[in-house]
Amino acid sequence: MNQFTLAGRDRTILFGLMILGLLCMGITFITDDAYHSRFWSNFLHNSVFFTGIAFLALMFLCASLIAFSGWHVVFKRIWEAYAQFLIVGIVLMAVVALGIWFDFHHLYHWADAESVAHDPVLEGKSGFLNPFMYTLFSVVVVGVWYFFARKMRELSIKEDGVAQYDYSFHQSMRNYASWFLPIGGFTSAAIVWLWVMSIDAHWYSTLFAWYCTISWFVSMLCVTVLTLIFLKGRGYYEEVDANHFHDLGKYVFGFSVFWTYLWFSQYMLIWYGNVGEETIYFRQRLDSYPVLFYANLIINFVLPFLVLLRNDTKRKMGTMSVICSIVLIGHWLDYFLMIKPGVMHTAHELMGGHGAGHATEGHGEAASHGAAHGAEVADHAEHVSEFVNGFTIPGFLEIGTFLGFAALFIYLFMRQLEKAPLVARRDPYIDESLHHHVV
Amino acid sequence: MKNKEVLFGLYDDEEILLKAVKEARDHHLDIMDVFSPFPVHGLDPILGLSESRLHQAGFVYGMIGTLTAFLFMTWVFTRDWPIIFGGKPYWSVPAFIPITFELTVLFASIGMVVTYYAVNGQGPGVTNPVLDDRITDDKFCIAFDVSESSSETVETYKNFFSQTSASEVRTKTI
Repeated sequence: MNQFTLAGRDRTILFGLMILGLLCMGITFITDDAYHSRFWSNFLHNSVFFTGIAFLALMFLCASLIAFSGWHVVFKRIWEAYAQFLIVGIVLMAVVALGIWFDFHHLYHWADAESVAHDPVLEGKSGFLNPFMYTLFSVVVVGVWYFFARKMRELSIKEDGVAQYDYSFHQSMRNYASWFLPIGGFTSAAIVWLWVMSIDAHWYSTLFAWYCTISWFVSMLCVTVLTLIFLKGRGYYEEVDANHFHDLGKYVFGFSVFWTYLWFSQYMLIWYGNVGEETIYFRQRLDSYPVLFYANLIINFVLPFLVLLRNDTKRKMGTMSVICSIVLIGHWLDYFLMIKPGVMHTAHELMGGHGAGHATEGHGEAASHGAAHGAEVADHAEHVSEFVNGFTIPGFLEIGTFLGFAALFIYLFMRQLEKAPLVARRDPYIDESLHHHVV
Repeated sequence: MKNKEVLFGLYDDEEILLKAVKEARDHHLDIMDVFSPFPVHGLDPILGLSESRLHQAGFVYGMIGTLTAFLFMTWVFTRDWPIIFGGKPYWSVPAFIPITFELTVLFASIGMVVTYYAVNGQGPGVTNPVLDDRITDDKFCIAFDVSESSSETVETYKNFFSQTSASEVRTKTI
């Protein structure tokens, strides 16, 4: 079967999940605080997560093309189809960007003009952290990514019709890919700063962009494994066998270790440097999110490391599906941990409870008002460590929202997959991929 | 060690070699070894070679390295010679991680190299008999140990070589 059709039952299930997601988002919106912080942070969290997966699919497709890699060609249509989600990513992120212009939400501290005016740190960053740049990157730059995603897929589908040994489309895809790699590589780093890192507006880490990107990458690989197993279960992609899973497993394994490397590098440098402005990021998470903080490491490092270290576990679809589901959720939690504490902090400050106890303002006065400041910090810490459902751990509404977004992603992916043959028969590397042997 | 009488055939192409090895397996011929200038895909399963256990040894060496590094640093910095660095506690786990990682890699790699050489009986000063110089270049070789074989068995082997179109058949004592 070289032509995928979305079964009616699957469509019903996906629509059901999307409605569940909408319902959960609606409930979150109604039961939320005055700023709808929980709703908007969930929205941002899932939008960023799935847009990133689509982006990394395109990035990896292009990188493989440039690197003369052939093993993935048999299922490369999957990645092409993922990348088409970028158009939805533009819409989702445009909604967040509009929210900054028109004050729907208060996800970003730097978007609050009054805070910026009284805050030298935010003022210093306002050349980059401003609504204009946010919109430019979220809409225009992701638009550029989408252009490449469209182009790569268009050329790949056209290539199906050529005579054998006609590599003109392949060459043209290589050209587009070689343009996309530097463009995507540099812009994605800046986008991560805007979308995720600027939530903790005072804080920065030079490693952060890589850390986020690798988190996206591992998630993308897990989604790939899961969809391939699903499609194989439905009788598609008979050509994909244990050898392809073995390679995907090696990627999941390797990049889980790389993710840990980046996580640890970021953590250790900040721990060693021991500068208050930097350690606050981990202090917040260790104090208020201890379970998630350590679970993050166990799910995303210890588990894939120990399980996928062996040869045979990567070749078994059962093990791979279990591990990839867990790791996918693990990286979703990783983004949860990046986004939620900062949003809650901003909401606390904007709601006026601790306007005076602002971290940077407090610093200058610390010497003169030592005692008062200390009391304020203690008061503040107490507030942060309060358990808030949907912030401290994901609640049912978060899970529902995630399922809704996942269903949207999968539905659009499958609609794209329907539009072209599943295997690119005229790709120059197709034979290599069909006869791929790892062991 | 007693010298071995080896009957071997040379093949020009790995495809012919693969077919010949399959043929030998089907006729239950007891192959001593197969030599090729490069790894031939799919040869190991036909020869019935089991998966190497070297990586399992590697894992054990790695764990030994991890424990050695971590426990040694723990002992040094909490019991033997506690020093405060940069206001950090004595038992500063994050600071130990890089060294633990390095020693894990070092133990695993050196352990695996030494194990590999020991298991294969190789090392400095050990020479390996070569059946024919060209099997390190462009020839593929199937070898049978015929030291204690009857003349009929040797005949079977020779027939096998001619049937599977070996380009040369010779014997050598190694």
